[in-house]
Amino acid sequence: MRTSATNRASGLVLLVALLAVVAFLSVTQGSRSIDLTDVLRALGNLGDDGTITSTVTLELRVPRTLVGILAGAALGVAGAILQGVTRNPLADAGIMGINSGAAACVVFAITVLGIQGVSYYVWFAFGGAIIATFLVYTIASMGREGATPVKLALAGAAVTAGLTSVTSAIVMTNIDALNELRFWQVGSLAGRYTPILVGVAPFILLGLVASLGLGRVLNGLALGEDTARGLGQRVGLTRAAAFGVVAILAGAATAACGPIVFIGLVVPHLARFICGPDYRWILPYSMLLAPIVLLLADVLGRIAGAPGELQVGVVLAVLCAPVFVGIVRYARLVEA
Amino acid sequence: MENPHMQTWRSVLAVATLGAVLAGCGSNDAPADETAAASGPWSFTSGNGDVVKADKTPSRIIAHAGEAAALISFGIKPVGIYADEPVKTDLNLKDLDLTGITILGEEWGKIDVEKAASLAPDLIVGDWWPAEKAYSGLEEGVDEKSKKLAELAPIVGVSQGESIVDLAEGYEALATSLGAKVDDPQIAANKKRFETAVTAFKAATAAKPNLTAAGMSPTDEKVYVANPKYAPELLDFQRWGLKVLDPAAPDKDFPYWETLSWENADKYQPDLILWDGRAYKDTLNAEFGKKQPTWFEIKAAKAGAVTAWPAYWLHTYGDFATELEKLTTAINGADENIGN
Amino acid sequence: MTLTLVAVKATHRRRTVRSLAVTIALACVVAALFVVTMMVGSFRLTALQVITSVLHLEANPGVDFVVRGLRLPTATAGLTVGLALGASGTIFQQLLRNPLASPDFVGVTSGASLAAAGGIVFLQAAGLVVCAFALGGALLAALLMYVLAWRDGVSGYRFILIGIGVAAFFDGLVGYVLSRARLTEARQAMHWLTGSVGQASDQELQILLYALPALLLLAIGLQRHLRALELGDDTARALGTRTELSRAALLGTAVLLVALAVAVAGPVVFVALVAGPVANRLLGPATGGILAAALVGAALLLTADLVAVHLLPVSLPTGVVTGAVGAPYLLWLLATTNRKGAGG
Repeated sequence: MRTSATNRASGLVLLVALLAVVAFLSVTQGSRSIDLTDVLRALGNLGDDGTITSTVTLELRVPRTLVGILAGAALGVAGAILQGVTRNPLADAGIMGINSGAAACVVFAITVLGIQGVSYYVWFAFGGAIIATFLVYTIASMGREGATPVKLALAGAAVTAGLTSVTSAIVMTNIDALNELRFWQVGSLAGRYTPILVGVAPFILLGLVASLGLGRVLNGLALGEDTARGLGQRVGLTRAAAFGVVAILAGAATAACGPIVFIGLVVPHLARFICGPDYRWILPYSMLLAPIVLLLADVLGRIAGAPGELQVGVVLAVLCAPVFVGIVRYARLVEA
Repeated sequence: MENPHMQTWRSVLAVATLGAVLAGCGSNDAPADETAAASGPWSFTSGNGDVVKADKTPSRIIAHAGEAAALISFGIKPVGIYADEPVKTDLNLKDLDLTGITILGEEWGKIDVEKAASLAPDLIVGDWWPAEKAYSGLEEGVDEKSKKLAELAPIVGVSQGESIVDLAEGYEALATSLGAKVDDPQIAANKKRFETAVTAFKAATAAKPNLTAAGMSPTDEKVYVANPKYAPELLDFQRWGLKVLDPAAPDKDFPYWETLSWENADKYQPDLILWDGRAYKDTLNAEFGKKQPTWFEIKAAKAGAVTAWPAYWLHTYGDFATELEKLTTAINGADENIGN
Repeated sequence: MTLTLVAVKATHRRRTVRSLAVTIALACVVAALFVVTMMVGSFRLTALQVITSVLHLEANPGVDFVVRGLRLPTATAGLTVGLALGASGTIFQQLLRNPLASPDFVGVTSGASLAAAGGIVFLQAAGLVVCAFALGGALLAALLMYVLAWRDGVSGYRFILIGIGVAAFFDGLVGYVLSRARLTEARQAMHWLTGSVGQASDQELQILLYALPALLLLAIGLQRHLRALELGDDTARALGTRTELSRAALLGTAVLLVALAVAVAGPVVFVALVAGPVANRLLGPATGGILAAALVGAALLLTADLVAVHLLPVSLPTGVVTGAVGAPYLLWLLATTNRKGAGG
């Protein structure tokens, strides 16, 4: 069966509509039950009139939803790029050491600099993520062959192992840091409001736009490096550029929400299942599918955990675990 | 006392001599001042019900962090301290002069038992935790090596229960048995101050019969409302007339708190917010008001009716008095009609 | 013809001699380290004091408490865990034909961590039960990976990628477990997760002590069997199924070894990765000695613990120090590895 470009494009339109519906759900549903009319009135007035319903709607749910959309899109696209560039269907930001780098920097901020609060962690997490990605990529690039999939995976695992033992050694002597870290590292959209949104939005938007130009290159790389070289691609350069985009996207998303694993792993497969192996389509599909999944999981967590909430990371873990096993079992791992 | 460890304790004495002869490390410090106190026989009923006896009143004591603070407040200086975090940051220890005391551990689960043996202790002091059935620092999950601390000397402690006052009183009794001059005016002053503080606290709460308070701990993601049932100091406040509200739906798997999402932050409207003292800073209320749009939906928070609550097992009359005085000031300044 | 045979025999003998010499030398180093770790601490003891106390030759209550009560269990844990990790690592690397295929990176250790943390947090497990959980977790994780990676046999490359994926997945779940815990239990779990040879109880150690010689002998026996088969290619192919079975048995033994080690000491990384290649370098042409690799593992772990506990100003978990030792090696390995990740 040939999926024509028109079909794929209309699929994208459908996803945009679906994302709008989920975003609307995310604004109307929550651990606090608010009448739909109140939500609509708050949205219509577009100004906080001082009632708690309008505060919750406009200052809690709307920014949180927007952070979710941006972070989801960033993670989905980052995962798709990583899977393409490493030709490893199990790649995601966590495997590249991004989460452990961000965690190490956050712990450093808490214990050494005495900083506490999600809005301050953002920049440390961002920095840590970028440094870790750079480190992993540099290590894996050493040697004649450059950054091959297995070397990348191992460099990521090793950097993660090293950073994790340092992090845990530090938090063992500081129970407050342990307490902060264990909640931060699950990943959550709660408490992410306008300042965080404003902080990370430029990076994510920049990364998303840049990523759209990578589709053709990734298609080339998917055929194997030699073929890509034969097609006139400069493999080393494109790979480095792709990693730069991934570092910015996943770094900013991790900075905003803490390490949210699984979504970057699972969504690209979902996209591939729908639109086929062409990265020019996989990237935009991932960009739309990931926020849909993330927001749905977040809404579920808000409803299931009321009057508290379940962190979105926990909900995703439950939802994605079986999908992960399925992917592992059936994914075509390149036999080199 | 039936003593299965007597053999070990004797061997520890041998260790101490060994240390002096072989390396000279550890026990160079002056021999314990064996003043009038060092007579005997001595006995004490520990928190787990065991009666611990010795021929001679113990004078070389190794104590866990807060317990050490309690003994020091009665003029008994331990030879060694083990803590769950660096002594510089431990809330019970950070203001104390610890010179001359060997630090045996600054991380939960890790006690340097060799160094402890070199101090030749004759008593170990740690709180008894009835739920864990263990003394502080020797709970399940600590390094197996650390547990051998209990082989160095008999171990006693006051049981953690439903009142912080029990801890202060328990350690007063222990200190007395160890020869502390608790009637010494300087030492007794703390207790006097504590008693005055309690009286003042009771008077303040009696003057405002409708005042309600809630133990709260706001974080970036959630608001925690403390369940007094599991916080001995909050139970003390309740006994002394402060209406600390009981959360309606404590978390099932972890009933110490009820967690609220920020959307539901206004669920409880106390007149006075007791902020978890482990995280409290004077600027925090304003900070949370700025970064959490719904924090000021709690009327008391908006009005600044916020004060710290010592949620970390105070052990001494003096510390408790200081905290109570602050609370009394806050109660006196509070408005009974802010909340509901 | 006879000349060639003589030459082959001579080479063979030279190899055997070298491998024997290296193994004996390593054993001496490990024995020395074993004694040295028991000499240092708050009390300096002489080697003679340590040895007489360990062997119960002379009763000196002071020395006995320090040596037998405090230092011997840790030293024994370091020794046995090191042996187990070293042996297990080299078996993984040889069977999967990849120097990077170490059990601490392909999910076995992570599986143990997840099970242990889960047991501590959700079932209030402690002591031997945590040990049992870790053991079960490691075995289940290994089984899961074997099933997932199986496709007409297990290819090293596939196994590694899947292993790392599974490990990352488990590590993510460990994070969730910690966030669902009470603070005190999270602290207990974290303590276990930092990994140290000092945390083992006597019973846990005993299990490892009894199992270790049996498993090591089994592994060496199985390896010899496989080697013989590999000498004659055709024979090996004809006996293909039996080879595969022996291979699976050897892998199973390796998994058991690493699982027991993790159960006793928590996750201690890099030892399994480094031990095999270091041993091979020492052995020269007679590569692949499981016993030599096991001894290197023990030497590494005992040294790391010496450094961690006695040389550094602050006491660090053993895992951090082994990481600091292993990381540069890994970098070098990655730099020299060839395209398939099979070089080194």
